[in-house]
Amino acid sequence: MPVLSGFLWLISYWLIGEVVIHFTALPISSGVIGMLLLCATLALRGRVPSTIAAAAQPLIALLAMLIMPGVVGVFFIVGELAGQWSAILTALVVGTLLSVITTLWLLKRLIGQPDVR
Amino acid sequence: MFAESSLLDLLTTTPLFAVGLTLAAYLIGNGLFQRLKRPSWLPAILIAALLLAGALALIGLPYATYHQGASWLTVLLGPATVALGMPLYQQLPRIAELWRPLAICLPIAATLAAFYALAIAWLMGSSDIILASIAAKSVTAPIAMGITEQLGGTVALLMGALLITGVITIPCVSLAARFLNIDDERLIGFTLGLNGHAIGTVRAFEISPTAGAFASLGMSLTGIFTAMLLPIAWRLLGIGS
Repeated sequence: MPVLSGFLWLISYWLIGEVVIHFTALPISSGVIGMLLLCATLALRGRVPSTIAAAAQPLIALLAMLIMPGVVGVFFIVGELAGQWSAILTALVVGTLLSVITTLWLLKRLIGQPDVR
Repeated sequence: MFAESSLLDLLTTTPLFAVGLTLAAYLIGNGLFQRLKRPSWLPAILIAALLLAGALALIGLPYATYHQGASWLTVLLGPATVALGMPLYQQLPRIAELWRPLAICLPIAATLAAFYALAIAWLMGSSDIILASIAAKSVTAPIAMGITEQLGGTVALLMGALLITGVITIPCVSLAARFLNIDDERLIGFTLGLNGHAIGTVRAFEISPTAGAFASLGMSLTGIFTAMLLPIAWRLLGIGS
């Protein structure tokens, strides 16, 4: 059962993340700590065990579905914020456009063209 | 509405109804997305979310009840976030090549990602609660929820801000990349993850595994950095006190 043992690894790393947060009071989610720990472990071992790959690949493919239940919540608060939406939408859309342009421009300045590889 | 309330009560006694509804909306949403030839302005997740919201309204299922049942799915977000450590490891050599520019870019870009939106909302007269709810707009959902609670915002509005930001990031990146003449998958992936969190990362994995790995990196670094930045910034600015 490679999938199950891989899944157990992923859950364990997440739980370790919870323990780390409990003792350090870091304002980070345990998933991110688990992710960094998993990456560090794999780097130390020098390869990806087939169990981890068997569990990680399908989960990553499902990421979009897993955030759907939370995302749907927005349609149920539309009424509560009547009159505020134009400011919120402008801030998010224009803010994101500006931020995307800045990020790409910065990266281009710092890294240059891909042929420098 | 047309469903008998007793029947609906019966079906929603187990989480399977909410889980089934989510799976159905996701699969149909994906199917429609393929049928529409994968438009970049209408990601599969938006189609699926609209279908799901429509279905909930149609059968009269309260969002809170649905959300409780669907927590059987959302609990998997934890291990799924951990799983992102795998593509991150696989791309380490390519990331290591670029660690310096990425380390310089990240704090600036992640700060601006929050700052632009906050400045615009503040200029347009938004309340402190709204500012606190949209501040973490570019941060991946599990981290963003923690930040928003700390700042005193509402999580429902945050989720909306995340959806809008994630969805709008995708056409913004393709537009800006064309405008700035960039076709390096690593830069596009990093930008998608930094600005568009999980939604941008999903999109980056559609482009290529390399773009996906850089997106995972951008998403996680932005999450960690913003989680430390915003609570401190809020205290310094004295918002909400």
